[in-house]
Amino acid sequence: MRRLRVQLTVLLALLGLLVVAWGATIFLGARDAARTNASLLTTVDRFDALRRRSAELGRSFVSIESSRRAYLLTGDPGSYEAQLQAERRAKQLFGEVRKRAAPWRPILAPVVDQVAGDYRSWLLAGRLELRARQRGGSAAAARVAAGGRADRSFQRLRGRQTAFEEQLATLQATTGRSQGRTYRAAQTLALRTAVMVLAAVVLITFYLRRAVGAPADALRSASGRLARGDLDTPVELGVENELGAVASDLETMRRRLSGRMEALERLRHLSAQVVGATSLQRLTEVALGGLQPEVGATRAILGVVRRGGELRLRALAGFPDAGVADDIVKADPEIREVLPMTALRTGQVIGMTDLDQVARSETLLGLVARMGIRSLALVPLSSRGSFLGLLALCWTDRHLLDREQEALLGLAGNQIAGALEAALRLEEAERAAGEARAVFYAIADGVLLTDPYGRVTAINRALESLTGWTEADASGRPYADVLPVTGEQLLTRYGRKVPVVVSSAPILDPGGRVVGGVDVIRDVSREREIDEVKSALISTVSHELRTPLTLIHGFAELLVLRDMPIERRRSAAEEILEASRRLARLIDDLLSVSRMESGRLVLDPRPLDLAAVVERMLSPFRAMATTHTLRAKLPGALPVVWGDPDKVEQILTNLVGNAIKYSPEGGEVLVTVEHNEDSVQVSVRDQGIGMSPRDMGQLFEKFYRVDRDEVRRAGGTGLGLYITKRLVEMHGGHIWAESWPGVGSVFAFTLPTSAELAGSRGR
Amino acid sequence: MKLLIADDEQAVRALVHVTLEGDDYEILEAADGLEALEVARDENPSLVLLDIMMPRLDGLEVCRQLKSDPDTRDIVVVMLTAQAQDRDRDQGLAAGADDYFTKPFSPLALLNMVERVRQTPSQAG
Repeated sequence: MRRLRVQLTVLLALLGLLVVAWGATIFLGARDAARTNASLLTTVDRFDALRRRSAELGRSFVSIESSRRAYLLTGDPGSYEAQLQAERRAKQLFGEVRKRAAPWRPILAPVVDQVAGDYRSWLLAGRLELRARQRGGSAAAARVAAGGRADRSFQRLRGRQTAFEEQLATLQATTGRSQGRTYRAAQTLALRTAVMVLAAVVLITFYLRRAVGAPADALRSASGRLARGDLDTPVELGVENELGAVASDLETMRRRLSGRMEALERLRHLSAQVVGATSLQRLTEVALGGLQPEVGATRAILGVVRRGGELRLRALAGFPDAGVADDIVKADPEIREVLPMTALRTGQVIGMTDLDQVARSETLLGLVARMGIRSLALVPLSSRGSFLGLLALCWTDRHLLDREQEALLGLAGNQIAGALEAALRLEEAERAAGEARAVFYAIADGVLLTDPYGRVTAINRALESLTGWTEADASGRPYADVLPVTGEQLLTRYGRKVPVVVSSAPILDPGGRVVGGVDVIRDVSREREIDEVKSALISTVSHELRTPLTLIHGFAELLVLRDMPIERRRSAAEEILEASRRLARLIDDLLSVSRMESGRLVLDPRPLDLAAVVERMLSPFRAMATTHTLRAKLPGALPVVWGDPDKVEQILTNLVGNAIKYSPEGGEVLVTVEHNEDSVQVSVRDQGIGMSPRDMGQLFEKFYRVDRDEVRRAGGTGLGLYITKRLVEMHGGHIWAESWPGVGSVFAFTLPTSAELAGSRGR
Repeated sequence: MKLLIADDEQAVRALVHVTLEGDDYEILEAADGLEALEVARDENPSLVLLDIMMPRLDGLEVCRQLKSDPDTRDIVVVMLTAQAQDRDRDQGLAAGADDYFTKPFSPLALLNMVERVRQTPSQAG
């Protein structure tokens, strides 16, 4: 991880070395150049001195020659003297030239030697001419001179000397060139070093760019992305230095953040899901489904606080065996002891593990084993400060909650609590709505609901059957279409008029605005009927009571106030007696009806000899009958019949009495007893006025009287057949009638022959 | 003096009979409304005692018909009713009845009433 620093150090060191090398090169090159320059200056001076001496030597040669020629011509001793002096000078110059040419001896020595050789041969030839002059004068000298030896030597010397000077010049040029080469070399070296330094700088820059610049940019953009919240792009530099380490840290950070964000996202998703869960079961399943990937719990239990403050199990999720619910409920008191309710009420998530160690009682141990769990997390569900319930998450293995999971469960608990509150409220509302709906549809009165515009929104079953409208047809129609009520009468869909009582009320929202209306329609036709029956009863009873009472009163008054013969008195007393019996019968009938209807009439069934009962019943009728023949037709052997003797006699008496009453012309009244399978049938036939089928419709109903003059003339309360029918039915039999107007009627009833049936209807 | 008692109860007719016996009344009987109407038209009695609840034709209707017929209009009609409600009395009076008796009635009161009718000169005949 220290690589970048090491690399940078190495690179800088390298760069330093290069710079030092460059500096050294420049320094050394400069020094060399300085040196070369100094030596060059010396060389040039030397060459100049040498060349000056050489030139002076050449000039001394010219002055020797000119002095010699002057002597030759004039023989002047002065010229001779000048020649000698020049020769000395030349000799001296030679010495100097040789000395100064010493540095270049290898090159210059042969040439100087050649010049000296030519000089000597020239001097020799000159001396010959001089001697010739001294001895022979000018003529002799001219001859010798004519030979030209001295001139040629001179010319050669001059040539030689020129060559020497040229050589000197060449040498001087050569030296100058070599000095230029030295400069150029130093220059080249400095340039190369500079290029290398430049290259090194470029390389270092490139390296820095690669090792530091690009990763730094990448880091910068990565941190920028993180700052903007983009957590999806991984942070990766591909370098393994300190920046790489920073990147790696950033990547770790990104992953954690991303993980948190995902957890938050899942929590949000969970929240959205639990909000959609309207049943507690679904809520529990969704909560478990959402939390399982986060914490790994595989089972969940939902407990909800009831109004009394008790925690009640409401839903299970994830348990393979739903039967554990019963066990949990059974263990409820012990669970309640173990639950840390106080902590839960403060909103604390509580983890419990190794439940098999924690469980203190046999019951709890058994429950834990049955549930197959080892660890628990109790998540309190509180909404707006009120503790609503508890979500218990279960693990089948050992699980310790870490702080992050605890925090997550706490958050999730809040979300679930909100949904729980809504679900509970919905449950309550649905229950209330269900009750209202049940009441609405079950209530016996017709109920109609309307919207604020008076259109029907619902009608119940009772109203459907009352009006003939179905709810589907009625919905959306104006109120008055479905419920046309005029006065107190409702016109049904099929044109029937029904007396009704309507009570109406507006439906108000909490703000007091009218959102609809409710009409309760009571069908009072039954009440009206009852009213009519009641007034008919009063009228009948009043009439039936007053008639015998009139007789009693009237005859009694006559007996008291008037003297009458004895037979008159007797007949008056008889009238009073008969009227009293009639009153008594009427009162008996009324009481019987009342007792039967209130269930207070009790049978006392026992085995009966029906033949004896029939005979006993007939005898008073026979005694009184004047225009009627009373006959009984009994089979030889009758099975034993079960019945209450008094009541059976009452049945027979009523039927025979009717037969006589409704056959005013007289005739035969025949009582027949027949034996069927498990019953005995008794029929009473008369030859009286008979009835039409229409008259027979309500024959056995209370206060019903056939609306015919003969019937009215016959008198009666309209209770006899009603009582008869009830008595037969209490015995477990049934009664019916057949009749033909003008021919007569047959009334027949059955009585059971077994004890079980008899009295089964009586109490 | 001729009078008619119309009642579907034979015993009631017998009571009226016994009450008025011996005072040289000619007592006619009818067991229902129609019969009462026929007898009244045929015999033209001075007084008719009419039960209201009678078969075939009720007493109110008999009274109405008697009072609407010039021949029988002058007959004194007394209703005998078992119904004490005001409604029945009003109905009887509306039908033109001259008086009414509510059952149970006092035979002596009936006798007094009949005597009064007999002694009214215009009614004699």
